[in-house]
Amino acid sequence: MHPFALSRADDPATAVAIQTRDPGLAFIAGGTDLIGLMKDRAALPERLLDINHLPGMSYIEARADGGLRIGALARMSDVAASLAVRERFPLIAEALLFAASGQLRNMASIGGNIMQRTRCAYFRDEDDLPCNKRRPGSGCSARHGLNRNHAIFGWSDACVATNPSDLAVALAALDAQVIVRGRTGERSIPITEFHRLPGDTPERDNALDRGDLIVAVDVAARREARASHYLKVRDRQSFEFALVSAAAGIAIDGRSIASARLALGGVAHKPWRLRAAETALRGVSLDDRDALRSAIAASFAEARALAHNAFKIELAQRVVVRALQVAGERT
Amino acid sequence: MSAIGQPISRTDGSLKVTGRARYTGDIRVSGAVHAALVQSTIASGRIASIDTSAAEEAGVLGVFSYRNLPRMNPTPKPWSHLHPHGQGYLPLQDDKIHYAGQPIAMVVASKLDQAVQAATLIKVHYEVAQPVVFDADTTRAAIDPPQFLWPVASSVGDADKGIAAAAVKIAETYATPDRHHNQMEPHATTAMWDADGSLTLYDTTQHLYGARELIAMVLGIPVDKITIMCEFLGGGFGGKAYVWPHTLLAILAAKAVRRPVRLQLTRAQMYSMVGHQAATIQTIALGADNGGKLTGIRHESISPAPVFDNYIEYAALSSRSLWAASGGIATNHKIVHVNRNTPTAMRSPHEALGHFALESAMDELAYATGIDPIELRLVNDTATDPHSGRPFSTRAMRKCLIEGAARFGWESRSPTPRSMREGRHLISEGTAAEIYTHWRWPAKARVTINGDGSALVETGSHDLGTGTYTVMRQVAADTLGVAPEKVTVRLGDTRLPPSHASIGSATMANAGASVLLAAESARDKAIRLALTGRDAPFTRGQGADIRVAEGTLTLAHSNVSISYGDLLARNGLPNLVAEADYDPVPEHEGPKAIFSFSAVFAEVRVDPELGIVRLNRFVGAYDAGRIINPKTARSQAIGGIIWGVGQVLLEQSETDPTLGRFLNRNYSGYLVPTNADIPELDILFVGDFDEEASPLGAKGLGELTAVSVAPAIANAVFHATGKRIRRLPISLEKLM
Repeated sequence: MHPFALSRADDPATAVAIQTRDPGLAFIAGGTDLIGLMKDRAALPERLLDINHLPGMSYIEARADGGLRIGALARMSDVAASLAVRERFPLIAEALLFAASGQLRNMASIGGNIMQRTRCAYFRDEDDLPCNKRRPGSGCSARHGLNRNHAIFGWSDACVATNPSDLAVALAALDAQVIVRGRTGERSIPITEFHRLPGDTPERDNALDRGDLIVAVDVAARREARASHYLKVRDRQSFEFALVSAAAGIAIDGRSIASARLALGGVAHKPWRLRAAETALRGVSLDDRDALRSAIAASFAEARALAHNAFKIELAQRVVVRALQVAGERT
Repeated sequence: MSAIGQPISRTDGSLKVTGRARYTGDIRVSGAVHAALVQSTIASGRIASIDTSAAEEAGVLGVFSYRNLPRMNPTPKPWSHLHPHGQGYLPLQDDKIHYAGQPIAMVVASKLDQAVQAATLIKVHYEVAQPVVFDADTTRAAIDPPQFLWPVASSVGDADKGIAAAAVKIAETYATPDRHHNQMEPHATTAMWDADGSLTLYDTTQHLYGARELIAMVLGIPVDKITIMCEFLGGGFGGKAYVWPHTLLAILAAKAVRRPVRLQLTRAQMYSMVGHQAATIQTIALGADNGGKLTGIRHESISPAPVFDNYIEYAALSSRSLWAASGGIATNHKIVHVNRNTPTAMRSPHEALGHFALESAMDELAYATGIDPIELRLVNDTATDPHSGRPFSTRAMRKCLIEGAARFGWESRSPTPRSMREGRHLISEGTAAEIYTHWRWPAKARVTINGDGSALVETGSHDLGTGTYTVMRQVAADTLGVAPEKVTVRLGDTRLPPSHASIGSATMANAGASVLLAAESARDKAIRLALTGRDAPFTRGQGADIRVAEGTLTLAHSNVSISYGDLLARNGLPNLVAEADYDPVPEHEGPKAIFSFSAVFAEVRVDPELGIVRLNRFVGAYDAGRIINPKTARSQAIGGIIWGVGQVLLEQSETDPTLGRFLNRNYSGYLVPTNADIPELDILFVGDFDEEASPLGAKGLGELTAVSVAPAIANAVFHATGKRIRRLPISLEKLM
């Protein structure tokens, strides 16, 4: 296998400094994605810096204002089990529990979860197939190949991959912030701007620069958070990535939607927020299925199918309706 | 108490759950070094140049390509189970590329990571040709292949005339995708040469003696110089029955570097270094009268084969014998040569593909005639094999259908599609019947009765994870009249008495028969000794009245008895050894047609908006003859049903049409069911002792249980949704 050196960082400042000056170095936390990428030769770091021991990054803080701050090294299973998370943000707990397997959730960190790379089989193939994300300029095998699992929003001819994180979809619906420590200190990146669209530089998944270290995720209190649901549709019942998933949260006025927050997973290179639908849903009754459908359709005018995934355009809209209905039962 | 028929837990269970069972790849051989493979990244063409210099300079023990690997003998023709090559095209013999993932170079190094890393340093340039894949275009070039296992075509009566004159007709096309076995245990070989030219192999094999024969022929080694061992197999499913290129490469590498060489495939390599189940496109035409009685069956299938082999998926085989058709039955198979490696048997080869088509079509006929699907099958049941004209040895089809339906509660089913609901879900029920080939093969075994009253069973059979060690113990214990705990079973070594391949669900009936006969022979030797030996406790003429139980020989209606131990001691013998050679006539040469049967019943829950299908409950009623161990048999059935759930709802090996290669080459991309996908499974065994099948009365079970899960669930999906899915798997977009 590809040889690499492993060292350990004991404080965030040093970790940031080391990676800033070393383009061949990657941070490793739970390693549940990175190790697989290395085995498939889709990531070939020369040096790994173990950040698991960085102090003060593995916590779940339920703030007095109803918000939540999660350290980047908190494990998925701990966050999913947190009473504060389950009460305040059911969709976050659901997004975590529907992801991966029990064993993986015990290892995988929150920061690593939103950093995980696409499941596109061309990108991950051991044989280094044409893939612009893996080798810029080599082409996109999925664009005219097997693309059932690929994007319907925001793709480019250079890349049609989707982001696999469930958690990121829930966080996008909630307008969470990613707290990053970098060369020039700490900054906050909205989760909806954290992941990028592929454009002609699909090798870049997100807005991080070299040396940037995710230290926490911050979720503000939202009035749509309690009546919320994360619905994940996949080929089998467990241990599988989403074909389409929806994070929905609503505030209710009687049976009408006062405000809604909606994001889709499995449809784009980033969690896909349905802002037009959110606007159109205001005042719509949860019992009026046709009105729900036409409000949701407002966000689908820009959907573009590939050869094998046209069904996702219809499926995604049905999934959103169902997620809203289930969320509505939780008010 | 008889041990046969008892639900005895596996004797190797604790070894396996505590990690002490030794699997091939886990065995550490002193001084062993490691091989890593380089595989073609293109699917068709030739190697224009290969530069191994960087790898050679990386401190490795050897680098091999077609330029320096010794030449092998061609694989023997015709193909035979007695010397079974997985693939006729041998590795690293020339510069041609016939499929993606073809091995083109091998690196041997002291450490595995060193070999793997050095393999990445080999630079290959190709002349690339356009690959041919199996699709609607290329099936037009299908050819008639030479016979492989069974006759390629069959015709009894005049099927077309029977169909043409029928009151009700069904004519449809069904398709099954490429699938891979994905055994948990990867294929592995460790090869060791001795100074005297003898070769010892640890190899993941379901067929020790066939492998030995084939290796001897292809590599020019005397058979008696080869020893192969495989104590446990971590899943075979047919995929480890024949010899694949990695085994030959490991042997040649070990010879070249003069060290033991270990070669274990990676998960991705298991998609091209070893076989798979080929896709099929099947057409079925059924004719029936208004009472549902079949007047004709025509079943044809096309499947892909590599450019260098003529492998056939005999998908239409089952239609030859499952149901009677008054006018006639015709079947045929064609193949298309494409760029891929050679397909192979995968649970349940031939039958599980053909039944999806045939038993789906029977359900279509049930709706077309308005006859209940159970009734339709009862109407077409037959005591005579329509293909051979021979009577079935046993055929409990009626019992399978009736007892299975009763257990399932079939009578409360409303036949109209979309008529049963539960909240936002549609609930539905489907059924299908099955027939499965019975194989009769020769097998030898040796049984030793020891002075301490224990016994040893030795036979070169295999444990695939199915419980062979346990059931052989039961057979020997009952026959010898000793407690099961007194019996030790040794399998998985060519130095033992030769047995047959553990494929085709044949082990219980055939290897089991050899153990039965050897144990009988050992017991009879003991009885003779007790009649005629030193200080014999019994007298001549009493032989027929001697019973053996709890390790003691007793004369009926008397208190005269002697234990095995005392008998041996009295005669100054350390032990008694007996061998048996079970040599049945092949099934097709016997007076009766021998098959296993079943009827299975599925209830599914469909979310019609999202297209999601989940299995709610499942009942399987099986006629596999006499059941030796209901616990291991039930485990086999559970495994078979889950295997079938994968086939119908999830599994497919996807081929990229441009690159001509399998793409989803791991457990993340190739979906098999999880526990969450499987409900409680209800298993009934309704068969009786079948003396034609085996002296043990047992027929094949393991493959049978995976045969008709797909049509039962597909038929239930039709009942739920009114949508007939004729192309597997039933993924959600097909139901939205």
